[in-house]
Amino acid sequence: MQSVLLSWLANSPALAVPYALAALGLIIGERSGVLSLGAEGLMLVGALAGVGAYLSFGGAPLLALLVAMVAAAVVSLLFAVLVVLLRVNQVIAGLALVFFCQGMTNLVGTTTGWANRTVSGLHDLPLYPMSELPVVGRILFTHDIVVYLTLPIFLIVSHFLFRTNYGLRLRSIGENPEAADAAGLNINLYRFAAVVGGSALVGLAGGYLSVVSAKIWIAGMTSGRGWIAVALVIFARWHPWRALLGALLFGGIEALIPQVAAAGIRVPEYFMLMTPYLATLGVMVWQGLRGKVDADAPAALGQPYVREERI
Amino acid sequence: MAVALELNGIRKSFDDFVALDDARLGVEFGEVHALLGENGAGKSSLMNVAAGLYSPDAGTIRVGGRECRFSGPRDAMQHGVGMIHQNFKLVKRFTVRENILLANPRGAFRRATAAIEREIREQAEALGFALDPARRVDTLSIAEQQRVEIIKVLIAGARILILDEPTAVLTEGEAQRLLATVREIAQGGAAVILVTHKLRDVKNFAHRVTIMRAGRTIAVLDAAAADADELATLTVGSNVVAPSRSSKPSGEPRLIVTGLAGRGTEGHSPLVEATFSVRAGEIYGIAGVGGNGQTELAQALVGDRLPAAGTIEIREPGAQKSAVTAATPRERRDRGVAAVPADRQSFGIATSLSITDNFCVGFVHDGRFGSPMRTDRAGMKRAAQTAVAEFDVQGVRSLSQRAGTLSGGNMQKLILARELGRTPSIIVAHSPSRGLDVRACASVHRRLLAARDAGAAVLLISEDLDEVLSIADRVGVMTRGRIVAEFEPPVDRHAVGRAMVGHA
Amino acid sequence: MPDSNAALPPLAQGASWTDGLRLPLGRFVLEVRHDMPAWKQALIVGASILAGIFISAVILVAAGVPPGDLVGEVGSTVIDRQSFHAVLVQAGPLILVGIGASIAFRARFWNLGLEGQMVWGGIAATAVSIYQIGPEPLRLPVMALAAMLAGSAWVALPVFFRMKFAVNEIIATLLLNYVATYFLFDLLYGDWKDSGDAYPHSAQYAPAERLPDIGYSLNAALPIALGVMVIIWWLAEFSRFGFYLKFIYANTTMARLMGVPTQAVIWAAVLISGALAALAGFVISSGSEGRLTQGFFEGYGFSGVLIAFLARNNAVLAAIVAFLIAMLFVTGQSLQIFYQIPFAMVQMIQAIIVMCVAASEFFIRHRLRFQH
Repeated sequence: MQSVLLSWLANSPALAVPYALAALGLIIGERSGVLSLGAEGLMLVGALAGVGAYLSFGGAPLLALLVAMVAAAVVSLLFAVLVVLLRVNQVIAGLALVFFCQGMTNLVGTTTGWANRTVSGLHDLPLYPMSELPVVGRILFTHDIVVYLTLPIFLIVSHFLFRTNYGLRLRSIGENPEAADAAGLNINLYRFAAVVGGSALVGLAGGYLSVVSAKIWIAGMTSGRGWIAVALVIFARWHPWRALLGALLFGGIEALIPQVAAAGIRVPEYFMLMTPYLATLGVMVWQGLRGKVDADAPAALGQPYVREERI
Repeated sequence: MAVALELNGIRKSFDDFVALDDARLGVEFGEVHALLGENGAGKSSLMNVAAGLYSPDAGTIRVGGRECRFSGPRDAMQHGVGMIHQNFKLVKRFTVRENILLANPRGAFRRATAAIEREIREQAEALGFALDPARRVDTLSIAEQQRVEIIKVLIAGARILILDEPTAVLTEGEAQRLLATVREIAQGGAAVILVTHKLRDVKNFAHRVTIMRAGRTIAVLDAAAADADELATLTVGSNVVAPSRSSKPSGEPRLIVTGLAGRGTEGHSPLVEATFSVRAGEIYGIAGVGGNGQTELAQALVGDRLPAAGTIEIREPGAQKSAVTAATPRERRDRGVAAVPADRQSFGIATSLSITDNFCVGFVHDGRFGSPMRTDRAGMKRAAQTAVAEFDVQGVRSLSQRAGTLSGGNMQKLILARELGRTPSIIVAHSPSRGLDVRACASVHRRLLAARDAGAAVLLISEDLDEVLSIADRVGVMTRGRIVAEFEPPVDRHAVGRAMVGHA
Repeated sequence: MPDSNAALPPLAQGASWTDGLRLPLGRFVLEVRHDMPAWKQALIVGASILAGIFISAVILVAAGVPPGDLVGEVGSTVIDRQSFHAVLVQAGPLILVGIGASIAFRARFWNLGLEGQMVWGGIAATAVSIYQIGPEPLRLPVMALAAMLAGSAWVALPVFFRMKFAVNEIIATLLLNYVATYFLFDLLYGDWKDSGDAYPHSAQYAPAERLPDIGYSLNAALPIALGVMVIIWWLAEFSRFGFYLKFIYANTTMARLMGVPTQAVIWAAVLISGALAALAGFVISSGSEGRLTQGFFEGYGFSGVLIAFLARNNAVLAAIVAFLIAMLFVTGQSLQIFYQIPFAMVQMIQAIIVMCVAASEFFIRHRLRFQH
């Protein structure tokens, strides 16, 4: 029993990473006022690009992850053009993006032959000597480099959002674009940058999923994690650190599934697989019970901006 | 004094609507220049051109004698033109410091925050305000938020300030203080343009006044020397007869509100405890500057939001009193309550639907227009036709055109046609003449008076004291969420004004 | 989540967007249009659909399909007997999900759970078959009814969550799709697995439980779908319910203040939506499949959204668009067989068309002007 518990806790951080990075990427975009529902699709793009790069460039996992980030950022340009420049309804554009990416990654994965081929991924990097500690050593100090980097990434983004001029401006655009416009900011530019930059993180989440976690690309492998990340952002009330906590929760749930079988508890396989989705619903209902959900959102979230003039 | 800003021959149209047609304005440094005109005259449009928000179709802009063309508000700011709009360009969740820093960058974040704080304190002191840079904007009063806007623009180096209807949201006392400050700013060498429709403000605080009407500049006068009647006539153009009010005895109370408190966010609401009643055949006007709970009161009365405490009772003609505190809007309407909302475009009209639909939605469910399985479209059209004619709704090319194409005044007429068409026994009218020109205003007032004469109990909630005083029989003053005073006719304006500020 | 349904904020007659592009001789200024005649709008939407098709065609050619053959394949769906038959078979369920999606969207409810509702429709119908509920002559109607009830029940959860807890229905309905699919797998790989072979499908339905043929080897799916179309069209155009729905879509708050029973109408519209999607599931299981299978619902979710979007939530237009999508499906299937283009291409083409049409709205709402 104890080893099951230990395995569970030790596996959670790595499984939390995709949720954490995707949610953080979404937060950046949404703080500028752009509702991004395309995470599911962009994660797929990152996942495929990561494996593709790994297979094409001689097995360099870190390079593969970088390519994943770039690929997702490039695809997100399409979304950014649609919603920022052409003022398309952000829900429709997000949905279209997801389905576009699903179709495209499926197509590209098959025609290039990248699908269903295993990669060796990233090695764990034990942080000697702390990794030798009993229990804690395995849980906290024996992970791959991306897991370790997640914390600094969160620190950097947090600092950027709340302690720099650019972060202030970005947030002002999400709260009141009219005020930002009157202050002379280029709304389109900031929103573009936020969407594309955030999407790079979402792509990294996807790349991590395929290159490091599963070590393979299979069509549709994100299985709704992108949607869970969207829900996570609401649950985190658009704060990076709360998103990290939420991600750990979901990483924990995902890590639990194989451990339950290992512990000898008999639960029908497919019901276990339902748990992350039901948990997300549960979290959303709980949040709704506690009070106003909308009150914490960036005030201008989801509304395209036109220098509006009323007579 | 040197010329600060000159606008000449400005023309601006939107599709087929001409907002400005040969508009002119000349302002000197060191003066307070009023831009006077009624709603729809083009004052705000002209100022939007001056502030770089609109690009004119024709005409020239000169700042300090040099011709310019602004590519946007930032560009205008760099030329020294700063505008304080009616709806403040402030991020509510940010602090005062952050808002001003947003518009006035000062280098690296940490250092900038400290630097801007110093500048804010200096400016505030110079103008005689107390302003805490660390406070969140949504915790400030409207008057304080306005001061933040002024300081923001001064710190940015504006030498030409434009204030768009600044006293509309202030009490008389706050308005006086603001205008005195504005005069001081002008004395310091800046040029101040005061956009307003209030003759009193023009006479008391402006040096010169430019009068606009229907998109044109009609006259430029010396404010102190000009005659108030002359100003009024030039502004309106012709004599519009204000509807007269005949005194009539009023009947029994129809709408009784006791101890009403709003729900609000995080447990506190601008509506604290309202108690009053409106009798049949009278217009009860609630006067008070915006933000004192009027909107929440209207919401509770109409059924938009449930109050946190208190009761609303209705007595229909020939029936007993009944409580409607928690009733749905449908139940209230069935009991004879009609509502004219303040925000016409958001709550009074579905702008994307036809005029017919907008008129008939008030009646569909009582079976007037067909059965549930089949609505009587021909009947709806006929009814809408009659209503449009009877209420003189202009600009209707076809009944199936989108209601959003109507002008503000005509939209209001359509709303009144719908609401009054049900011969309601209680009417809740919230700022019914907001944004309307004098003619449309008179038309609205005439309708409300007619409804009153027919026996309805009319509740008029308005931030425009003149409106309240001109048509209301009894007047209640609402301050800080309470009805603090009530006045029987004849109502003394000064007493009302005192009541508006008297309570701490 | 804030109202993600917010269209552009209401603008007064025309507005100017002056942060236009700066070019040496002048700049582009964007202006918002007042209104645009319906025929012009239709023209722009039509052009954008063509643009989407063109882009997709380019991608297909790049993937190795000779252009001439491509045109041939598309044309054959109407000309070739067998292909046209396949289109008609495909059209029935697509019409149902398309109309299902549109009626929910009319109530400003993003029902993205169409696939999950289809799954439950299939499951309920199969349950009736397996447990032999109802006398044989009535078995089919009972299956249909059970399916519709199941679909309504499944969508009722997200509606309830939204009404009571302000839970965003986009995510709720989507997540429930995954839950429904896993439930289906549990049944198909477990208790309901047909012991006759190794495939994860249920036992075949009895003949009385299959949709009757209406001639030309077509089953009743299409007539059922067209019947539904007429009903929903009537509801939307002529009934009081449709009038209320119109207002709820245009301005929900105002509708409520005017006394429209908004909650009841929204509930009804979305429950109908779930029922229709489930009916599509029933029609496939009982029609072309003859049993409950693993992937019968795939591709219908987004197709439904696409159809509703292109048809602007109008029932009759939805049927026409569904027919065109059916042509796309059949073309995709033959491309898969003859040119090894994965069926995922169809999904991509659908997404491209949606993006093109959505982008074209920009030109309906704005006008580009060059200013010196």
